Amino acid sequence: MILETRHLTKSFGTRKAVDALNLEIPDGSVYGFLGPNGSGKSTTIRMMTALISPDEGEVFIQGKSVQSFGNDALGQVGALIEKPDFYKHLSGKTNLEMLARMDGIDSSGIQPVLERTGLGARGNDKVKTYSQGMKQRLGIAQALLSKPKLLILDEPTNGLDPQGMKEVRDLIGELSSEGITIFISSHLLDEVQKICSHVAMISFGKLITAGKMEDLLTESDLLTTEVQVDNLDTAIQLLSTRDWVHRCDIVDGVLRVGISLDNIPQMIQILTENKIKVSTIIPKTSLEDLYLSKLGTESQI
Amino acid sequence: MAGLIYNELLVITGRWRSYIGFIGISLLMPLILWGFSVGGEELHQDYTKELGGTFMVVGTIINSFLATYIIMNALWIHIPFLITLAAGDSVAADGANGIFRITLTRSVSRFKILVSKLLASYIYTAALLIFCAFWSLGIGSIVLGTGDLIVIDNGILILDESRAWIRMALSFSLAILVMCMVATLCFMFSTMVNNAVGPIIGTMFLIIISYMIIGIPLEIFEKIEPYVFVKYFNVWWDAFKDPIPWSEIVKKLSVLGVYTVSCFGIAVYVFLKKDIKS
Repeated sequence: MILETRHLTKSFGTRKAVDALNLEIPDGSVYGFLGPNGSGKSTTIRMMTALISPDEGEVFIQGKSVQSFGNDALGQVGALIEKPDFYKHLSGKTNLEMLARMDGIDSSGIQPVLERTGLGARGNDKVKTYSQGMKQRLGIAQALLSKPKLLILDEPTNGLDPQGMKEVRDLIGELSSEGITIFISSHLLDEVQKICSHVAMISFGKLITAGKMEDLLTESDLLTTEVQVDNLDTAIQLLSTRDWVHRCDIVDGVLRVGISLDNIPQMIQILTENKIKVSTIIPKTSLEDLYLSKLGTESQI
Repeated sequence: MAGLIYNELLVITGRWRSYIGFIGISLLMPLILWGFSVGGEELHQDYTKELGGTFMVVGTIINSFLATYIIMNALWIHIPFLITLAAGDSVAADGANGIFRITLTRSVSRFKILVSKLLASYIYTAALLIFCAFWSLGIGSIVLGTGDLIVIDNGILILDESRAWIRMALSFSLAILVMCMVATLCFMFSTMVNNAVGPIIGTMFLIIISYMIIGIPLEIFEKIEPYVFVKYFNVWWDAFKDPIPWSEIVKKLSVLGVYTVSCFGIAVYVFLKKDIKS
């Protein structure tokens, strides 16, 4: 395991932000870290990166305890915690030069990471002239500066437009194929499903589930079934009142019904009995369904 | 460590606030020097009156040395304020601006980062006082000329020009050390809060209160006077005594040193324990 938390606990006042959290992040994985707002994701990540001291428990990076070794344990870690902030009155490049000096590495690696994050032409501009998306890219650039083996990214696509989000997704894919382990927290379940090999979900600071994405999705019997029918309005009226229908809505002219695998025949029966022609039924399992089944209602995301 | 200090100096020199002290001195000093050059005769008469019939003064006693000596007396309260502008920002601004989320997740220790910030504040402090000396002694020598320095303080001390230069250098060196103590105090406050104004107000409040305590002739205050740090700020003045009271200087610097180390110790403790939540 490249990253491990053991019984990690942190309270702020009387509120337990993280409660005896045990995580194991395998080497080479892209590990998604999910949970509702205030569930303790950021606090956990801050404890992993020595920004916050846990009340109990430890974080191990490549077997080295962050709590015992302090920042020494972060030698091969690149981190982007929430929104990246830099010295705005200095250029992006100067900011990276300063960080390179802190890391004890020479500045020859700066231009390549700027190029890689799409900032090659803007490196000499002051950070105060950057858009939020550019700052986010610079944040990723600084995380890559020390050629880390482990990347910890907290909401890395925040502030990015769809094109920027795709670029970050592609970059994460590239980095993963280079053998870098990536621990990523995000609200974008679709993004996480696309890029992550493993996932963990927490709520109220406690681990709800964790494991390989594939295994978790297979284990789940909650499906979002796409159904093509000739009368969408009647179909939605018929299905949305059933208590075994988790949710039912229309997306791009297709009925999306959240039901368990066992209820599919029942659904077909109701539709056909009511003279609704069913042309296709495609059962799909999504991370969103798994998330909602584990963590509750959509409003919590 | 040199790289970290260089980083901090880049940050300090990149902030316009850091130049307020230099701009202030550049505006104030020409005014004071002009005042000495046009109103020097009056001051000369006041001084020679105090000398009474003991000495026959040929020429004028008004020169850059005397001007610097008087300026240092006058600016003694204001220089700490200028120093706190940089020292107050040092840690607090990085916390407020979210910079720590980037810098404190690297392999360099918090202690090293803190020490580099403090040393950069000291370099800024020294630069500000050297700039002050440049104006009062350097430009002052051109405007007012040089000559013997006559100091009246429990007697009369006349220092010839070559000795006056040495005493001025000693005096400014001591002043730098004193101001480094002020910078450390402000630095300590800077580790405790997430805004730069708090440390500046805290430091100035403490200095002003301390001056009031040592200025009020009440027995209760007299008892605590030896423990009030500003009492030892006047160590720079000892450079103009003859012979130079080295033991007194060492004693005063030791007391200020204890304060400096204590403030730094508290700053280290607070900073190492600090949770970065913003």
